Amino acid sequence: MNDLRNGATIARERMRGPSAPLILCLSCVALFAIGVLERQSDALSSPDDTLAGAVFGIALPLMAYLVSERVSDGTRLDRSVDCLARYGTNRRAALCGVLLVSALSSALCGVLLTVSALLGAHSTHSPTLLIDLRVSVGIGFVAGVVYALYFGAASLLGKRGGGRKWALIIDFVLGAGGSGLAAPWPRGHVRNLLGGHPVIDLSQANAWLALALIGVACATLSVMRTAE
Amino acid sequence: MSDSLRDTRRGDLGFQGLNHAGLANINASFSAGTHVVVGTEHDGTATLIELAAGLVQPVSGSVLLYGVAPWSHARTRRRIASLCASETPLPARNVAGALTLALKALGETRSALSVLDDAGLAHFASKRVSSLTPLEARVVALSLALSQREPVLLALHEPLSVVGIVPEAWLLRTLTERSAAGAIVLCTASRLEDATRLGGSASTLSRGSWLAPASAGPPLGSVALRVHTAEPRRLAARLSEAPDVSGVEWAGGHELIVHGGELERVAHSIVANARAEAIRITALKPDAPSLDALAAARAGLAQAYYERARGAETGAKRQS
Repeated sequence: MNDLRNGATIARERMRGPSAPLILCLSCVALFAIGVLERQSDALSSPDDTLAGAVFGIALPLMAYLVSERVSDGTRLDRSVDCLARYGTNRRAALCGVLLVSALSSALCGVLLTVSALLGAHSTHSPTLLIDLRVSVGIGFVAGVVYALYFGAASLLGKRGGGRKWALIIDFVLGAGGSGLAAPWPRGHVRNLLGGHPVIDLSQANAWLALALIGVACATLSVMRTAE
Repeated sequence: MSDSLRDTRRGDLGFQGLNHAGLANINASFSAGTHVVVGTEHDGTATLIELAAGLVQPVSGSVLLYGVAPWSHARTRRRIASLCASETPLPARNVAGALTLALKALGETRSALSVLDDAGLAHFASKRVSSLTPLEARVVALSLALSQREPVLLALHEPLSVVGIVPEAWLLRTLTERSAAGAIVLCTASRLEDATRLGGSASTLSRGSWLAPASAGPPLGSVALRVHTAEPRRLAARLSEAPDVSGVEWAGGHELIVHGGELERVAHSIVANARAEAIRITALKPDAPSLDALAAARAGLAQAYYERARGAETGAKRQS
């Protein structure tokens, strides 16, 4: 437990500084503006378009990628805890601590980005705003967590965590489809939850399950591939 | 000794068939006491320390501390105090914060200030981690390594290079205490003077090759030249009497290998004797020694200097 806490502490320290909140604020402002523009173009479909395109299509994966890169100090997830491991910390436990901070930070990003976009896309007195917020915030939270675990596991490929970059590209390219090729990546399932076309005709309930499976598989893989 | 790690395992610190980033087939073992590895970072000393401390996984071969691989055993790493060639402090606002986190990881309840105070570095406590120079980062790491309670191994890269910021007397005294308490103190030194001051047994790491004192060869005292001639027998007979030639070998066919002390003198002697006997030489080229022989000679030279420096220091101490 102490090792996990120490891992979380170094991840929190790495997140410290003005740049992370600044980027998050700028992203929120940009998404709010995109939401407003979408509303002016087509008020009816603006929330769906903004969420599926700008928020969950671009902003959230990018933010989760940046958070993962930052908490891991720009290197592989397992190597990022070496500084603690030399003092007798169990790498696996410390890695879980780093993943925890990464997942919570990405989830927070997901929630704030979703809220900003919806506030822009809905008019202030819209009756559907609260319903949309309630549903989408949950999706944003879970998507943030899953993306953090996904990028963490991907960083274990390559000498300096280059797999993380490839994971972002593969999620963009393969996750955009609806075939079996999109099944292992989070993007298609998040799109399904937002009401977009599903991956291999999975129901929305199964999309939740698929996201949970991806998250658990990535976390397990990260721990298994790391030495004590 | 109430040390469970030491009691239950055999073999002290051992490198077996170790190959990693320039280190080639290292086989060596160290028991409790002080051991100095003479060599530069370019020779692989930094990598050796990282491997001993369990900070990197060997590509092939093994590093075992009392029978356990420190890379994959967290509890063993807790008993290792290390100082690497390049140190990055733990992420924190200031040095005290970074040390507090390190002490927490070690499971110790001491304050960071007490660690810095012992090394005379209390003024570092409030310094920002990001403003530390590479040398200062090493000093902080050394103060923590030397303050560690009951380590079984101290793996220190060039500990004397930080003398000036920390007092040498404190550093050497602490190392002697740890060594006397049964710890393995493994240090590296690029300067023979430093190796002498650290004391203990010395080995050499030369371009990734391990040269224990026993394998150190004598300095290369002779040169060899390969001579191609149509009449090797006649030339060999003539050269065997030449004063500058220490030996002549027939390499087979039309080739002779001529040994001597100085390249120019041997070459001159060959040419002069061949001319006197009217023997035609078709080729004359130096016979380069093998890399292994060169490395052994280099280690032998280093060992000789080391022993001489130690002898001089012991003599000076006795006189005073």
